[in-house]
Amino acid sequence: MNFKNKVVLVTGSSRGIGASLARGFAREGATVVVNYLQNKRAAEEVVTSCIELGGDAWAIGADVTDESAVNEMVEEILLEAGKIDVVVNNAFKSFMFNPEQRKLAWQLNWDDYQGQIDGAVRSIHHVCQAVIPAMKKQSSGSIINMVSNLVERPIVPYHEYTTAKTAVVGYSRNLAAELGLFGIRVNCVAPGLVYPTDTTRDTKEEVKDIIISQTPLRRLTTPRDVEGPVLFLASEWSEFMTGQTLYVDGGFVMK
Amino acid sequence: MKEKAGYLPNIGEELAYKTVTFAGKQENLEVELPLLTQEQTNLVLENVRKASSDVLKSMTISEIVQVIDAVIEQLLDRTNYYRQKAERLLPIITGYDEEVIRTGLTTFLKIFRKHHLQRFLVEDFGNPLILDDFQPRTKRGFSKAVGPDVTVQIWSGNVPALPLWSLISSLMVKSGSIGKVPSAEPLFAGWFAQMLVDVEPKLADCLAVVWWKGGDEERERHLFKQADVVLAYGGNESLESIKSRVPITTRFLPFGHKISFGIVSSMSLDSRKAIKTVHQAANDVIRYDQQGCYSPHVFYVQKGGNVSPREFAQLLAHELEAFEKRYPRRSLSMEEGASLAEWRQKEELSMLTNHNKEVLGETNGAWTVVFSGNEGELAPTSLNRTIKVMEINDLEDVVPFIEPYRSYLQTVGIAAAPSELFAIANVLANAGVTRITALGSMNSPEAGWHHDGRFNLSDLVHMVDIEHSAEDYAESFASYTD
Repeated sequence: MNFKNKVVLVTGSSRGIGASLARGFAREGATVVVNYLQNKRAAEEVVTSCIELGGDAWAIGADVTDESAVNEMVEEILLEAGKIDVVVNNAFKSFMFNPEQRKLAWQLNWDDYQGQIDGAVRSIHHVCQAVIPAMKKQSSGSIINMVSNLVERPIVPYHEYTTAKTAVVGYSRNLAAELGLFGIRVNCVAPGLVYPTDTTRDTKEEVKDIIISQTPLRRLTTPRDVEGPVLFLASEWSEFMTGQTLYVDGGFVMK
Repeated sequence: MKEKAGYLPNIGEELAYKTVTFAGKQENLEVELPLLTQEQTNLVLENVRKASSDVLKSMTISEIVQVIDAVIEQLLDRTNYYRQKAERLLPIITGYDEEVIRTGLTTFLKIFRKHHLQRFLVEDFGNPLILDDFQPRTKRGFSKAVGPDVTVQIWSGNVPALPLWSLISSLMVKSGSIGKVPSAEPLFAGWFAQMLVDVEPKLADCLAVVWWKGGDEERERHLFKQADVVLAYGGNESLESIKSRVPITTRFLPFGHKISFGIVSSMSLDSRKAIKTVHQAANDVIRYDQQGCYSPHVFYVQKGGNVSPREFAQLLAHELEAFEKRYPRRSLSMEEGASLAEWRQKEELSMLTNHNKEVLGETNGAWTVVFSGNEGELAPTSLNRTIKVMEINDLEDVVPFIEPYRSYLQTVGIAAAPSELFAIANVLANAGVTRITALGSMNSPEAGWHHDGRFNLSDLVHMVDIEHSAEDYAESFASYTD
């Protein structure tokens, strides 16, 4: 049990990759805060399964793009658990991953970009700002920001989404450069196309086949695949790593 | 959950049902199979016979094709009620993964859209209007293709929706149908019949989808006596027994168990193409876990490519492992699990005598690849993602290995250069193979294919000729003769 007595906040963890990560931490004994935006029932189900897996957990509803909601959530965690060891910024603004219907470069306006940048960089900024004081006091902490392998290789150019996620990589490196002085680490995890999740459920087989044909390990990423690298970056096994991006895509991107 | 299987014309009587329970991963499904008494069977027969001659025979082939096409379009729409029901319930009754069902249904249903049905018709009849009226023949005279009034169909297996082949074929020759669903997949045929009737209410009495216990001699004898054609799928033993009950005046069309395999030329195994070739081969293994008659048991792989036959087996192993994440194998019954373990154990034991041999995959894994050197023989594997890879020097080397299975041979999936393809095709045709397809397409026969080398539609009809003499002779009796 690598995460016994560790307090882990996973944003957007009522479903998909976030839910899988929450369970992954719980399996290793962590106390997990399951943050959600709307689906309380789903979040409660994740909490129940976390407890069944041997961890502890509770759910907090909070919109991470809302600064005061984030502050309240972090206050509640600190009040309840006394500390925050790990933050996984997994929540993102909903985005339609549809290669056939996506907007082409010349069809985008600035609001499209702004929406994604707010959903990604701004929300991560709110969460980081809220937890940094506590982590500084602890002289330790691991922040993991979920991005996408599209930042390195936009096989389908989802311009606004990928631009925002790429900004998160830059944001994380700068944060890492400064927060390293306090023993706080900041890294990114970049999965490939994760299937199945709610956002990828309708992805066409042809798109999956194209990606698989260029993937050395010959399949798509599953939510479970993302657990290992995230837990690794959250654990002491990676205590001398910061400012890094780990690609979890079967070798589709090599960097 | 409960679901009623089958479809029946309105015979105005209460029916008895037999309940079969299927255990799914999350919940159980109780399926009620309609069980008819002798009298009820007679009523159904009468209705179907009458509707077949009154309704189906008076529809044009183009009208019938329109109705089938409309139903298929609905089934391809993932928001359709029946489509959603199929995606939800078929995984429970067949054990196949939801992804397998979803993609499998679409691939399968696509070949029954209008333009494919037209191809079916042209393939068998040249001029499809021959089903509507007497058409002129090149030999002079006229002919019409007349379908049976009643075709009894006995379906088998658990590949979802498979009864569509014969159900649609008999509809296209304007035959009424009484189908018996297999207890392993009793739902799809009934839904399809209901959807046809929803689209064209006139068809209400033209079809019946029922169930009885296989081998019910009295019932079958009675039914077969009144059918024009009996069409049955199954093992040779059960087909023999069905045959013994079909009277000489009824046409019997049996589709027995078959064995299929793949041939991989060294031309497809260079450094660039090999991985694609292996991917295609794995695709043929995982589709419905080799439950179709066209699924491979063995891949014969030619030596001399940059990727050797042994390496082909190893690559295939990893490809199957990757596919397991995307399209997991269905859950096996106790008997299937035991027979697979026995097969695997036998293969492992034979490694003692054949040092060339390799058994790949974990004992309790979801797939097994056996590389068995030049062992050769086309022995059936245990299916459910068990496959053998054997090396050959020349493509023609397969002949002595497949000869003992002549009457069972069906599909060969092939990866080879054009000159090799046509050369080996002749050899395979003489050896008894009836279908040669691209590696990767073994499980998706094209529209209008010749199932086991036979004609899907023209085997069901009889031709009626007006000979030239009758036409000529009639001329002499015309009132307007000068």
